Amino acid sequence: MGAERSFAKEVEQLRAGDGDVFFGEGILAVTKGLLQSGVAYVGGYQGAPVSHLIDVLVDAEDLMTELGMHVETCANEAAAAAMLGASINYPLRGAVTWKSIVGTNVAADGLSNLCSPGVMGGALIVVGEDYGEGASIIQERTLAMAMKSTIWLMDPRPDLQNIVDMVEHSFEMSEASNSPVMMQLRIRSCHVQGEFIAKDNVSPDVGTKNKFADPAVFEYDKLAHPPVTFSHEKLKVSARLPAAQRYIVEHGLNELIEGEQNSVGIIVQGGIYNILMRRLHVMGLADAFGNSQIPILVLNVTHPLVPDQITDFCAGKNAVLMVEEGNPEFMEHQVNTMLRKADLNTSLHGKDVLPAAGEYTADVLQEGLVSFLELAMPTGLNKSGIQDLVARSNDARSGGKISLGQTSPPRPPQFCTGCPERPVFSAIKIIEQEVGKVHISADIGCHAFATFEPFSMGNSILGYGMSLASAAAVAPFQQRRSISIMGDGGFWHNGLTSGVVSTMLNAGDSILIIMQNGYTSATGQQFIPNSAAGRHKEPPGMDIGKTLKGLGVPWMKTIRTYSVSVMVDTLREALTTDVPGLKVIIADGECQLARQRRLRGENALKLERGERVVTPRFGVDDEICSGDHACIRLSGCPSLGIKDNPNPLKSDPVATVEPSCVGCGLCGEVTHAATLCPSFYQVEKVTNPGAFESMMQSLRKGTISMLGGGK
Amino acid sequence: MTEVTNVRPTTLLIAAMGGEGGGVLTSWIVNAARSSGLVVQATSIPGVAQRTGATTYYIEIWPEVLPKGAPKPVLALAPAIGEVDILAATEYVETGRMIEAGYVTPDRTTVIASDHRVFTTHEKVAMGDGRTDIAPIKKAIAERARLAIVSDMRALSMKSGAVINAVMLGAISGAGVLPIPAETFEAGIRAEGKAVEANLRGFNAGLAAATAGSGAADENKSVAHAHSALSHMITNDFPLAAHPVLEEAVTRLIDYLDVPYANLYLQRLEAYAKGDQELLVSVARHLAVRMGYEDIYRVAQVKVRPERLARIRAEAGAKDGEPIKVREFFKPRLSEISDVLPTGLGQWLQNVGIRNPRLAGKSWPMLVETTSVSGYLRLSILAGLRRIRRSSLRFGVETRAIESWLETISLAMQSNHKVALEISESAGLIKGYGDTHQRGMKSYTLIMEQLVKPAVSNNDFTDQLAMQISAARSAALADPDGQTLKATLENAA
Repeated sequence: MGAERSFAKEVEQLRAGDGDVFFGEGILAVTKGLLQSGVAYVGGYQGAPVSHLIDVLVDAEDLMTELGMHVETCANEAAAAAMLGASINYPLRGAVTWKSIVGTNVAADGLSNLCSPGVMGGALIVVGEDYGEGASIIQERTLAMAMKSTIWLMDPRPDLQNIVDMVEHSFEMSEASNSPVMMQLRIRSCHVQGEFIAKDNVSPDVGTKNKFADPAVFEYDKLAHPPVTFSHEKLKVSARLPAAQRYIVEHGLNELIEGEQNSVGIIVQGGIYNILMRRLHVMGLADAFGNSQIPILVLNVTHPLVPDQITDFCAGKNAVLMVEEGNPEFMEHQVNTMLRKADLNTSLHGKDVLPAAGEYTADVLQEGLVSFLELAMPTGLNKSGIQDLVARSNDARSGGKISLGQTSPPRPPQFCTGCPERPVFSAIKIIEQEVGKVHISADIGCHAFATFEPFSMGNSILGYGMSLASAAAVAPFQQRRSISIMGDGGFWHNGLTSGVVSTMLNAGDSILIIMQNGYTSATGQQFIPNSAAGRHKEPPGMDIGKTLKGLGVPWMKTIRTYSVSVMVDTLREALTTDVPGLKVIIADGECQLARQRRLRGENALKLERGERVVTPRFGVDDEICSGDHACIRLSGCPSLGIKDNPNPLKSDPVATVEPSCVGCGLCGEVTHAATLCPSFYQVEKVTNPGAFESMMQSLRKGTISMLGGGK
Repeated sequence: MTEVTNVRPTTLLIAAMGGEGGGVLTSWIVNAARSSGLVVQATSIPGVAQRTGATTYYIEIWPEVLPKGAPKPVLALAPAIGEVDILAATEYVETGRMIEAGYVTPDRTTVIASDHRVFTTHEKVAMGDGRTDIAPIKKAIAERARLAIVSDMRALSMKSGAVINAVMLGAISGAGVLPIPAETFEAGIRAEGKAVEANLRGFNAGLAAATAGSGAADENKSVAHAHSALSHMITNDFPLAAHPVLEEAVTRLIDYLDVPYANLYLQRLEAYAKGDQELLVSVARHLAVRMGYEDIYRVAQVKVRPERLARIRAEAGAKDGEPIKVREFFKPRLSEISDVLPTGLGQWLQNVGIRNPRLAGKSWPMLVETTSVSGYLRLSILAGLRRIRRSSLRFGVETRAIESWLETISLAMQSNHKVALEISESAGLIKGYGDTHQRGMKSYTLIMEQLVKPAVSNNDFTDQLAMQISAARSAALADPDGQTLKATLENAA
């Protein structure tokens, strides 16, 4: 349902049956795996790289309803985790999804309370591991959370067939061990396009079409409440762990690749497998089809590890390399302990040859492999090939830099053309020039792009919807009031309670700006409580203004974001008023991406029907532009560019408005609010004008050209 | 088993900016490979990079059709340094970025790049010219690429009415690195059924570009033609090197005021005609800009130019019979009004401002609709008033400032050309209107007062002074608040 991307076409594939070849993205494969597993309910909260998994689930809602499955788009990850509670008392298979580590953190309380009693029906959590290149959050691993709550963690080898198989195994293993299972999908695995052989979809035994006659009987053991919590803790290690390990071995979830170089071996997380095999191929130690000279143990399950499986693999080897991305190196520690206990003196390498932190890219992994082989080079292994390779990649790495001889300017993501959030930061920049700098608590969402040029604003980011809460102990120590920025997505996610309610509770005196654009836009415009439309077409109908009024917020204004001058005045008042307590400014403006998509459709229709359509855009008289770019420093709109100065006597490039301009009006507003040069003009083109309009137009044109104004 | 074969997957890295349709381009290639019976895998890292940030897409294709049931190759999800067969970049600096990262190597990489620029915010916010030098990118492509197909693919896409990714697809196909015939790509575009005709035009444009190789023609600027009598003066009294600048300047000053004014310009330059040519050209450039200072009359004149409306209609893509409405955004302040009034009156208004500063700081936002008769009239009357500019308050101020600037240059010129040149170049800081003009004027005055004036008083123009002025000039452009300039001048003192 992400207004930005519809999977309506792709989800048709989800009806594929036994033997059909399914081609698509990783997230679609996972969804198909859920359907093949007879899942009874699904839910989650959007966030890259699994934003689109939510979109797919919602777009597939009709199919799921047919199969008797229930779909929820949860208000946050905590709600999604709690949803899995249904599998504690009932033999229902459930799956939820979110962005990790952040979503897992938000869900942590529910997860702990889910894991203590354990589950009867298979419970699967699909987490998008937002780690490494392309990640948008703090770099932590989900493994630590899985370990402390006794959640089994899948890190499947990124091959769609394997991912789908692991989804099915996850439910089986969850039921066999009464524990929830997490499947971590790395960024590229979520978006990988490939194929697998499909199976028929399976309706859950009990579903929305054939419901339970009665609720579950009362069983104190199913509660996360003392005294049973103490027995739960013991059960985790005495019963559930061995059951899981048994399942892993009996169903061969981890893959052993034999190789003739038996004196060494490599243990690798499933998610890293493809990178490893390519490195070995390039080094001449493997072919392109996964056959390796060095034995490899591929861990599709990274928690729990199976001691016998590890020690059997290591036995008789001089050295083994543990390829474990991220830190702390929990797996390496465990393997070390296992070797010690089994009294094996195979030397284990890992973080000594591979970096302790950061993504294991091809380049990084290769360096590690080379140093590992230097330490433990088996006899009869061609050294020269490896040395050539090292030389070549060194040249590749440095050659480009040397030859370019300059560093490329950064190009971070930024506010879209015409974004309604940009003008708010223009206004803040203008008011800061007047009253001085203020402390700005930033938040998660598109508005975090204001931390980049040209605004460079924001003193801290503490999490999604946490800006106001993170200002609690800042405001009391500032002579000027501090400003917290929050999106409407973050507001509903948890900003309402941890921010607004907490501040009200403590009579905190600071300013909150809520960007009301109607969607969680950074993740692809998923609907939220205050969206103008909903996934069942009719809007959810919740209103931020009314909500805050209900809470009794003492000072609140709703301002159209593009009215920069009004916003500047409002900010000035908020910063200086004697009214104590929380001051909320609702910056109202629909996400421009969504708006443009809507307008394109509407205008196309109007044009067909020959109705009047007005198309606005802005322009710059380059003869007047001063080439100082003050306008760009106050806007940074992608459609406000620069070009050579038309006057050869001047050297500075002048501003220019690209055809992509949507005429949002910011340029004009800023010109007036900040007293910029008079080079900006607004054009409105009228298609299919009315008769009177045309007449007046030709009259005007006639008169003006008589006055020498041209045609 | 492992007798290692030399067959390896063909790897393709697409460097694009979010929102350019890199995903669609990827799908086109993936589908073409699949319908050719080839094993293919594609990945991307969209995330928020979709929001116009730099992003990449990566594709691996096994170059041989594998028999049914044969083991599948293990394809990588991310590009490896030195192991890219095709780099397709939709923008020039993004091409450079990939070369810098090591993804382009002489032994295997074919570079397909569009050499148009989409400037980064970092380049755009500079107070002067912050644009990245593209010469090194050109050089790096020549040195690092096995084969390069470089042309302005954005222009090609606009010409064909397609999105740039269709043109890129054509170029990729034309490069002949992928074992996929052009027809298969075209079939894919048809099968998709979206904007088929436009995309096919784009595809063929790209295909042609690939086979023709690169061709970036630089447009030649039309040389301004000055007033004949003055042109005569220019050719007789000034060295050839200065002619283009002088022609340009004279034409613009006649347009700005009248022929006598342009004549005055040439007279003011006579003193430098026989001297150092670099200095002459510098003074000629800056003097022209200073004499053509920006005021309300000037703005009005530009806004009512006969050809302007036609230009704007074209920009807006307005067809005949489609009315357009043009609104101008003005916000004059007291000083800008007193500037253009006759000296006496202007002086009086200025004093009013001095007496109540709140009024002086005030400015009046106004929207003028040039496409309405009343709006046009107001502006054209203002534009006409430029004839009385000579008697305006600002004209007097500028004349005095210009003359003292020229005197200082002439004085410095006698002992040190470098210093003279630097003083001349410092005038480049003065530009624009309102805040911008005030900021530039402030920096200029600071440099003149603190660095040049002492030198003038004890007639001592050293090379060190030249270096100090030059440093101060770039410091003035470092930040809008003048912090860097302040620091630099303190160090110099």
